[in-house]
Amino acid sequence: MSKAMKKTVSAWALAGASVLAIATGAIAADRPAELAPLGDPPIPADNPQTPEKIELGKLLFFDPRLSGNGSMPCSACHLPDAGWDFPDKISLGYPGTVHWRNSQTIVNSAYYGNLFWAGSSKSLEAQAKSAAKGAVAGNGEDDMMEARLAFIPEYRERFKDVFGTEYPRLGHAWMAIAAFERTLVQTDTPFDNYMRGDDTALDDAQKRGLELFTGKAGCSQCHNGALLTNEKYYNLGVPPYDGWETDELAQITFRYELYAKGSTEEMYRSYKDDPGVYFRAKDKEHLGKFRVPSLRYTKYTAPYMHNGMIATLEDVVEFYNQGGGENQFAKTKSELIKPLGLNDQEKADLVAFLESLSGERIVMEEPELPEYDVLPTASN
Amino acid sequence: MRLTASIAALLLATTAAWSADQGPVTPMEVNPELAELGKRLFYDTRLSGDTNLSCSSCHQPDLAFTDGEALSTAYSGSEGFRNTPTLANVGQRSAWMHDGRLGTNLNDVSREMITEDYIMNMDMRMMQERLKQDPVYVKMFKATGKGEPSNGGARSALQEFLKSIASSGAPFDTGEMSEAAKRGYVNFKGKAGCTACHSGDRFTNDLPYNIGVPNNPDIWSDPLRHQTFVGYAKFMGVENYMNVREDLGAYVRNHKAETKRTFMTPTLRELTYTAPYMHNGMLATLEDVIEFYNQGGGDDPNKDPRLKPLGLTRGEKADLVEFLKALSGNSYNQPAYVWEQDDYEYEVVPDWKNATN
Repeated sequence: MSKAMKKTVSAWALAGASVLAIATGAIAADRPAELAPLGDPPIPADNPQTPEKIELGKLLFFDPRLSGNGSMPCSACHLPDAGWDFPDKISLGYPGTVHWRNSQTIVNSAYYGNLFWAGSSKSLEAQAKSAAKGAVAGNGEDDMMEARLAFIPEYRERFKDVFGTEYPRLGHAWMAIAAFERTLVQTDTPFDNYMRGDDTALDDAQKRGLELFTGKAGCSQCHNGALLTNEKYYNLGVPPYDGWETDELAQITFRYELYAKGSTEEMYRSYKDDPGVYFRAKDKEHLGKFRVPSLRYTKYTAPYMHNGMIATLEDVVEFYNQGGGENQFAKTKSELIKPLGLNDQEKADLVAFLESLSGERIVMEEPELPEYDVLPTASN
Repeated sequence: MRLTASIAALLLATTAAWSADQGPVTPMEVNPELAELGKRLFYDTRLSGDTNLSCSSCHQPDLAFTDGEALSTAYSGSEGFRNTPTLANVGQRSAWMHDGRLGTNLNDVSREMITEDYIMNMDMRMMQERLKQDPVYVKMFKATGKGEPSNGGARSALQEFLKSIASSGAPFDTGEMSEAAKRGYVNFKGKAGCTACHSGDRFTNDLPYNIGVPNNPDIWSDPLRHQTFVGYAKFMGVENYMNVREDLGAYVRNHKAETKRTFMTPTLRELTYTAPYMHNGMLATLEDVIEFYNQGGGDDPNKDPRLKPLGLTRGEKADLVEFLKALSGNSYNQPAYVWEQDDYEYEVVPDWKNATN
């Protein structure tokens, strides 16, 4: 690890710790009430941030040993250089498989109450665990992953220091990863600065875009609050992933997901699209619905939607302008989605506004990972 | 006339040299089509999570379905802590694994091997969908009456293939043993006392014993092996598993102190293909094995009391080795046991939107 990099790393650890102390700041009076600048991320009472925990979580985030075959760290599908997500329609997938949904950015994931596209995890801790275990993601098994951690002397020390246990516990690994992820926040975008009162933070096009966003285009009906999402579930009629028609591995995974997540025989045989939130409660009203994503950091996270079927922010705006799309789940398509009648200027302004929701790229070099060694017997 | 008959009887007895309870292994009844499907599955790496390993990665046909290593390989990112056992006559065992922890049937054994995190780490639901994507399997499953590819059908087929792995052509069975081997067999049953455990046509009573095989230090010096052991020991409920530095064998089945470090009596069939020996590969050659027993086994407070120094002469030891070699027969490296086509392909489902999944 170079000296320059070490500096970056410790700067990050500090930034992670200090962000807790930053107050949200007052919202300027003439700003849209349904939106807000982003303040500090919520920190669960049972998993407080400490610099040591964050540093451990960073190592674990990049450590492939927290997967089935030791090749799939969190960072395999959440690449720092690629917007902390995976730069393809569908996420990478465990070796020998492909995934079936778009990878979401880690940046600002700290604020979500519902993680994953179907909102199936309620915390970053739970999300990390699920991702490490999923057959098309980490495919790890608890006992094996936990056993591996014990054979890394530096982890034994770090876990003991942070969590007080003699040997690393897997549950603590997810907590440390979550703590690290809670440092990957961006609260000073042009939009945030504007919302806090800096009139110059947005240019004219972005200001017009903001007005459309909260007005004619109706975006803020769902994309509201500081995170620009109400975290509810809708079907916009996003077309099904086109790889399912051409990619044999994608076809395998699609059927696997129908099977593994629980489908009726009739669904398993006939469905050709992702039932989304349906899987959680097996309620047909939820077919094809996905959690509204944050619009923050989206400048770096193309392609878009739960299956990456929309390539650019321009395309996203056009998609909404046309009243969304069509998929297998027409019955559940949101009534909020209607043709908008936006002209080219308005569409461009909306895109300009969307770009104000992203600040600088958050970059990070991969840390050097500690190695395995022989496990000494307890001295008692 | 009477003399001739006696000589003939004597000749027959010395040629075949079978004792009352030991003779050729009776092959199991097998459904050939299902076994053929099982054979293809056996050599298919897509039965492991990351598609790196097939059953045949560790169970190689030219080594009587072992791998030639002291300690087996394992799933990517892990290494094994036990010796790969032969699959010769594996369908006739009464319990499987060196600790005998699987005591039902080969269907369960297949499931265990495929799904175990340090072996093939496969979600069988994913396996089923992979099989369905391969038109050869679709055809073969249908032909065997198993319908569409399913993980239950795959396990049945694997079981059938495993049942087809029979010993054949060993000099012991064909009556072609050398004089040395014949002398060895006499001592095998007599002075050396081997048949106390190595009984029956497969030369095993399928029970676990402690014979004092030394600990394999590579398990504890290689973190990849030791961590696999930790995962196993934890799952099996071994007390203080982080500090245990010995393989407890069949102890994991009942947690009774007297069963510590007991391991299933292995078959003695096909030994010339399956070195090194013992549950942890600690004995390199058959000569070493005979010498090990000649010295009364290893050093273990829990050792079976029947193991005593045998006082075998050099000649007797050599004869015993010759006898053991005479229990090895035809190689499994032949079409009946090898899937020879390189035809493991997926195919895109055409007209996917209108196809039935």
